[in-house]
Amino acid sequence: MMDRRKILKSGAVVAAAAALPMPAIAQSPKKITFLTWNIIDTADIINGWIARFTKDRPGVEVEWQDKKGPELPTFYQTQLAAGTPPDIINTQGALGLEYAGQGALLDITSRLKADAGYGNGFNQNYLGNWVYEGANYMVPFYLTKTVLFWNKTMFQKAGLSGPPQSFDDIIAYAEKMKSADSTGFLTLNFDWLYWPLYAMNGVDLLSTDLKTTAFNTPKAIEVTERLAKATESGAINKISWTGRWVEPNGAFAAGNVGMLHAHAPAYFYVKGQGKWVTPETLGATHVPGSFATPNSHGLGISKGSKNPDLAWDFLKFITNEAQIGEFARLRKLVTGNTAFDTKHFAELDKSDPFVAALLRTQLEHTDKMVGNWRLGNDSRVKEAFWPELQNVMLGRKDAKTALADADKKVQRELKRA
Amino acid sequence: MRTKPLSIVLRHGALVIVCFIMLVPFYWVIKTSITNENIYAYPPRLLPEAPHLFNYVDVWYFIPFARYLLNSVIVSAIAVAGNVVFNAMAAYALTKHFVGKQSVMLLFLSCMLVPFQATIIPAYLITAKLGLLNTYLGLALPLMSTIVCIFIYKAAFEAVPQSLIDAARVDGLKERQVILRILMPLSKPAVATNVILAFIWSWNAFLWPLIITREPIMQTLPLGLARFLSYLEDTTGALYAFAVMVLAPSIFVFLMAQKEFIRGLTSGATKG
Amino acid sequence: MNTRTRSFTPWYQRKRTRDIALVACFLLPSLAIFFLYRILPLLWNLVLSFEYWSPLKPAKFAGLDQYREIFLEDDVFWQSLTNSLAFVAAAPFAIALALGIALLVNSDLKGASVYRAIVFISYPLMSVAVGIIWKWLYDERGGIINYALRSAGLVTKPIPFLQSFDYALPSVIVAEVWQVIGFYMIILLTGLQSVPPHLYEAASVDGVPRWAQFWRITLPLLRSSLFLCAVIGILNSFTSFDLIYVMTGGGPGHATELLVTHIYKTGFGQTRFDYAAALTVVQFILLLALTWLANRAAGGNAGAHDTGRA
Repeated sequence: MMDRRKILKSGAVVAAAAALPMPAIAQSPKKITFLTWNIIDTADIINGWIARFTKDRPGVEVEWQDKKGPELPTFYQTQLAAGTPPDIINTQGALGLEYAGQGALLDITSRLKADAGYGNGFNQNYLGNWVYEGANYMVPFYLTKTVLFWNKTMFQKAGLSGPPQSFDDIIAYAEKMKSADSTGFLTLNFDWLYWPLYAMNGVDLLSTDLKTTAFNTPKAIEVTERLAKATESGAINKISWTGRWVEPNGAFAAGNVGMLHAHAPAYFYVKGQGKWVTPETLGATHVPGSFATPNSHGLGISKGSKNPDLAWDFLKFITNEAQIGEFARLRKLVTGNTAFDTKHFAELDKSDPFVAALLRTQLEHTDKMVGNWRLGNDSRVKEAFWPELQNVMLGRKDAKTALADADKKVQRELKRA
Repeated sequence: MRTKPLSIVLRHGALVIVCFIMLVPFYWVIKTSITNENIYAYPPRLLPEAPHLFNYVDVWYFIPFARYLLNSVIVSAIAVAGNVVFNAMAAYALTKHFVGKQSVMLLFLSCMLVPFQATIIPAYLITAKLGLLNTYLGLALPLMSTIVCIFIYKAAFEAVPQSLIDAARVDGLKERQVILRILMPLSKPAVATNVILAFIWSWNAFLWPLIITREPIMQTLPLGLARFLSYLEDTTGALYAFAVMVLAPSIFVFLMAQKEFIRGLTSGATKG
Repeated sequence: MNTRTRSFTPWYQRKRTRDIALVACFLLPSLAIFFLYRILPLLWNLVLSFEYWSPLKPAKFAGLDQYREIFLEDDVFWQSLTNSLAFVAAAPFAIALALGIALLVNSDLKGASVYRAIVFISYPLMSVAVGIIWKWLYDERGGIINYALRSAGLVTKPIPFLQSFDYALPSVIVAEVWQVIGFYMIILLTGLQSVPPHLYEAASVDGVPRWAQFWRITLPLLRSSLFLCAVIGILNSFTSFDLIYVMTGGGPGHATELLVTHIYKTGFGQTRFDYAAALTVVQFILLLALTWLANRAAGGNAGAHDTGRA
């Protein structure tokens, strides 16, 4: 055994000697890197921020990198391994917490406290989404949570007067609107976005201390069975359990799906593709119980940053109204900076009242956000749970077995951490 | 001519069916690239309505197309040159008999079996160590010799009759001359295949350039893809136009190189 | 024992030495590249697979724990292995098809070069684009395949190809074959081109019928090309990453998960590089075994065809 370990160690040394030393990218003392998540189309604005930021700071250089969602983690992990993580990082969903759990992010709790005016300017519920084990790791960049879009024309045709008021309504309405070429309900599924369907039935995934599972209950089984049955009958569109972004939104935009449960930006996508979309034909509202799953973008600082103070300055600079406002006005989104958002919504009331109303929903009922467990291993829990749920929704397993199997797998992941 | 008309018709028939299957998806790519239709609409529209070329123009301006194109051309040229030369050398060595040949072959084969996705982190660290991050050579290096192409050369070299090589040696040709004057000219299809495949692989490489380029000015064409998978806008039309524009050079290289695949015709091998 | 005959030439001038030096020099560039980008990374994975590690965390010895988890606890591993093998099983059909096409377009048929180009056209297309377009072709509502099936009255209810556990894997395999068939074709064409024409001429003079020429001349001489196709087929079956990632992401459930997507997801998605490394090692050993089998099936000697020399 000793021998084997020795061999292994020397192997590790060889591999390390050949591979591990620091790469050649020299970080000049005043250079910071800003990594964003798929916003390459706003290059003009971001380059403008960098120009303004560096103008008053001689010798400071900001490098901007943008990567798409599927590749950003690969890029970031590679940079972490090389010891050159980007100083400021923009992540979506629970990834920020995951990186915090991995020890990659800087704890910014004390910085937020020291600068109370800055921290308190944010919607506190959203800010709280990036609290891991009692410490803050990210601030809001731009925020979203799920809402229910409904196709008013299809509702009218089916003799329905308004959006559903309960889970029963959702299923019943969906059944009413389905036909050979249309379905009644569609939800996005990535990053727990479907969780409000469970939350409105009083089902939670984990215990409040996040130490054990809470979903293997008769109620959860019943809800799952009903969703699966409605999927089987065609009332719920199957894309709900297989698509990601383009397919579900594209399907709803085609005009033959009654309801779409998605986060607010889906509107812009749907409007871009669906010629039928007007305030008269499309409604957006809270789901029954006003639950919603956030899928926000946050900004954090890498613990490996050589210039954390400069990075913090930059982070504050871009989340300042003068900068983030430009971005928010262009893309019509919510920043979590309460003062600015209020002003922005008032402007939108005049130019685009529908969007103003839609964005307001994003700051309502923020105490009812679900699917945002403060886990450092969210992706593993998701990977343990989601395929089992898919098994039920697509008719391969019955709800009881699948949830029991999922329970075992999720428990295992919780224990591993 | 021994070939009967019926057999010619059958052969054309079979090829037409195959080509139809190959082309239907392409038709859709091109159709979508010249319209801005919602491809999820039912029933699908078979003919393009109000076709236009705006998407192609958009692609040119959405990304620094000319710069990316230049980078891609340089990287692919390095990779192609590397493959044509290094692979020929390695393949020639493998036609010789030497101690440990079986082990080298096995090593080459097993190198093929390491999936790139599992090598990203170490490959990055090694490239950094070599000081090649963010350089053309760093982009091309992992693709400068490929095992498949070595085996293609090897098979071609082995098909050259030994008598020809022996005769050349008797005439006093040196090793180098045997390769350059006998083997390579007789293995033109293999050279062409090396060029085509090396070009395609380096041209379409996505994850590797994404990981090792830092400055936008060093990015290759496929990285432009990100611009067309936007979160908010529907850029399907531009995305497909982009795919066509990235594809075009590969097709061009194939058409140029495929001249080497018509030896059968000129030498009358199949005329019967 | 031969020293006596050679004792008058110093070792560095001997033909044998020079041959070895030549072989070594010629192999060097390729070997260097493979060493840096294949062998070292493989060793990295091998070392990592016996540790607990993630970037930023110091490595801890894990013994065989990662391997234990793969074989005893990870049902996704078994599922993706089965899927990869289903892919492998489809490869011979694709290669046979490609051989048929290659024979057809390697002739004096009018327009052969056009057919060749069309069959090849799918291979240089970016895999991401192939994935996007096939995803749409298979779409339950707007996709052309369902439209065709419904218009022809073959089905009353559209088939959710990529959303169903039964159809998803075969559908992905078809898309993969569609993309890669031009690649097989070009390798087989290269092989066909190196068959010396005089062999056919001689056979024709002897009155050997065409089909017999195919069995007795073409196939044996194509052995190394076919072996290459088989290896690539096996390899693609295990590593069709982009296509799967775009079309299904491995789903529904894990119905189209391959080992390589599983490796990528556990590594970069769940920050379990140590476990992903162990999976990589297991996949490597499996592929090695399969390649060895393919080599045996092709008659050994890793694809060399000695018949060509004579």
